[in-house]
Amino acid sequence: MFEFEVPEVDYTRYSNRQLVAVPLAVLVLSLAVIGGWWAVTGAPVDRGIDFTGGTELTIGSNSTLTNDEIAGTFNEPVVSIQGITTTSDATYQNQYVVTFDNSADVSAVRSAVQSTDGMTLLGSGTTSPLFGSQNQRLAVIGVAVAFVGMSLLAFAFFRTFVPSIAIVISAFSDIMIPLAIMNLLGIKLSLGIVAAFLMLIGYSVDSDILLNNHVLRRSGGFYESTYRAMRTGVTMTLTSIAAMAVMAISATFFGIGLMADIGLILVLGLTADLMNTYMLNVTLLRWYKYEGVNR
Amino acid sequence: MSTLRENWRVVALVVLLVVSATALFVPGVPPGTSADEGTTVGGPQTESATQLTNLNYGIQLSGGTRLRAPIVGITAEGVNVTANDATQLEQTVADELGIDTIDIRVRPISNDRQMGAVEVVTENVTQQELRAALEASGHQPETVRDGVTRETRQEMVETIDEKLRTSALSGASVQIVNVPGGEHFVSITAPDRDREELVDILNERGVVKIYAVYQGGEDDSYVREEVLQRSQMDDVSAADREGVGWAVYITVRRDAADEFAQRMVDAGFGNGARCENYNHSDIQQTTGDGCLVHTLNGEVVTARGVRTDLGESFANGEFANDPVYVIPISNEAQDPAEQANEIELNLKAGQLPAPLDLSEDSGASLDPALAEQFKQNSLLTGLLAVLAVSLVVYVRYKRVEVVVPMVVTALSEVFILLGFVAFVQYPLNLSHLAGFIAVIGTGVDDLIIIADEILQEGEVETGRVFQSRFRKAFWVIGAAAATTIMAMSPLMVLPLGDLSGFAIITIVGVLIGVLVTRPAYGDILRNLVLDED
Repeated sequence: MFEFEVPEVDYTRYSNRQLVAVPLAVLVLSLAVIGGWWAVTGAPVDRGIDFTGGTELTIGSNSTLTNDEIAGTFNEPVVSIQGITTTSDATYQNQYVVTFDNSADVSAVRSAVQSTDGMTLLGSGTTSPLFGSQNQRLAVIGVAVAFVGMSLLAFAFFRTFVPSIAIVISAFSDIMIPLAIMNLLGIKLSLGIVAAFLMLIGYSVDSDILLNNHVLRRSGGFYESTYRAMRTGVTMTLTSIAAMAVMAISATFFGIGLMADIGLILVLGLTADLMNTYMLNVTLLRWYKYEGVNR
Repeated sequence: MSTLRENWRVVALVVLLVVSATALFVPGVPPGTSADEGTTVGGPQTESATQLTNLNYGIQLSGGTRLRAPIVGITAEGVNVTANDATQLEQTVADELGIDTIDIRVRPISNDRQMGAVEVVTENVTQQELRAALEASGHQPETVRDGVTRETRQEMVETIDEKLRTSALSGASVQIVNVPGGEHFVSITAPDRDREELVDILNERGVVKIYAVYQGGEDDSYVREEVLQRSQMDDVSAADREGVGWAVYITVRRDAADEFAQRMVDAGFGNGARCENYNHSDIQQTTGDGCLVHTLNGEVVTARGVRTDLGESFANGEFANDPVYVIPISNEAQDPAEQANEIELNLKAGQLPAPLDLSEDSGASLDPALAEQFKQNSLLTGLLAVLAVSLVVYVRYKRVEVVVPMVVTALSEVFILLGFVAFVQYPLNLSHLAGFIAVIGTGVDDLIIIADEILQEGEVETGRVFQSRFRKAFWVIGAAAATTIMAMSPLMVLPLGDLSGFAIITIVGVLIGVLVTRPAYGDILRNLVLDED
């Protein structure tokens, strides 16, 4: 069996500038992608039917259907068709999730499936544009309140500017990086992803608090404290990444969209968090410990 | 005793585990469930009489339909109208707008209402048209807005609730969902029904019949004759008016009023009639001149006589000018308001006070088989995630006595959470399962912090060293838990669909973890580590 011991990084070999450059470059790149997306599409990220409104049908069939066959069943334009892997004991060998935009009427597309031989309607979900725009407003409020609340707590815990702002910047970057990757991979924002971002705020802050706590509130030299915090923190983040990666793969396989979304975003965000915590946050703390305090 | 006291955290954990097991597995323990055969009263599960657990599943995991739609309507608020003018105003505005009075409702000034309101519950009237119609009738509304009045929303919920109960939908529920900003949605959940069936139930109407019963047969025997169709009634409303008290006002459609009056006259009600006693199953038992009878699905709602002045208005044709008749409630009645409302509800026969805008529906419908598949697969996903976590921590620590308690503690957190969910009978959905996985994630993170802190170089020789290390670890855990709760709390209050459940599960899980299970892991680890020496 393989061994895993968190490696001791020799931070003394790198200058503050060198260390900060990588995470900042990635953050700037992400912001550029998001900004560019915003300028071109009018929204920082593509929104799914939870926010734009639209309908999603789950269809079961015992024959293998092509996308054209499925799309041909409906008069309404089909946005996407996704096949789902089924387990051997499932009633239908094949399942498909068909997505429509908000011009489709849920009763009409439901009855189209119900009246087609060889297709069985297993489920439908629909969001009205009205409800979708409410969702969008509330989601923005929710993430903003969560982020501000987290920032206030960070300042309350450490009561000094640099370590606290390091937590805030790192959490901000942890959200922006997956958001940019979503755009590049063509993943649409759903309510599940909003939940994932809020979870990410919680997870991201864990390792930052741990690091700040070891460096600022414990005896011992900076590098020793950092290494101790890293040993614990990296293990924590890796277990979370492992759990979320398994969840993302398994849920994608089974077609459980909500869990797949949450898993994927957390894998991306937690990986970004490893970089941000141990390159950006560590450097800001080192600067604060050796230079900032004396100012 | 002292061992118990030293390990009180472990004791607390074991006690909570037992309590959770009871809530989960003993039938009848959670309030609202019944002990016999483990069936959940009012719970959405009906397919199996004997369930393994007391868990309550939402439609995503047991199948069914949820509709969430706004109510059609616009409302003019701040209209100065009293109860006595209400019917008149309804008629005037309806004429002005060219709609039926059934689609317009006046909420006059009352104890609950400082200013009256007028609402129109049909799609083809704009806010400007309503304002203009009210101004034409001499009223100045303060505001005209989308949506209906609070009273109508309440009536919607009552009517739908009644429908769901009478259509034998077990576990179905209806509620109003408020979105900050003033929007209101009606949310209806029905297990075991697909969307079409649920919509049919909502549109279903009871059969209301209106009879005249009079001595028109041979030898003055009583006969029963239908004198008015339900579709010929325009509006039915209960109201408390000065000088009248509680009464139900029934408006007959203008085009049907003459025919109705003529039939009443033909039946001998032209001079009024006394109704002494009415027996629906054997009308020959009836005593008195004659009765005007209203039934719903064959059950008598009211059987009343006709007052002389009403009878005369039938005879001389005046009735058609103001086609309203009144069913007064005796002042001596126990609860006249309730009686009047009950008659109103029955005569409306399940007609919704305002239509639901199903084109704006944001709901979901799931086949029970697919839901079952989700249930199994998400359970499998969760187990795989736990396995992945166990592997990583095992590879990292290589010590069974550290890793096994860690995994067991994390799982017991989930078990206690399940007990909690079973006890409050919270319907579980997919988002909650994601919450469980989030709880395992933060839980294991915290356990790693505790393990690293306690196992660091320098043996734990004394309880005092242990205590100090434990306290240090706990500062980080507490701070991390506070931020997680802070991050999740907005979701708890914002009506963001399934996400509220996710947030609640995560917050409760983090609380259980920080207060009980994670400290208990510290105790377990101390015992195991101290034993080694």
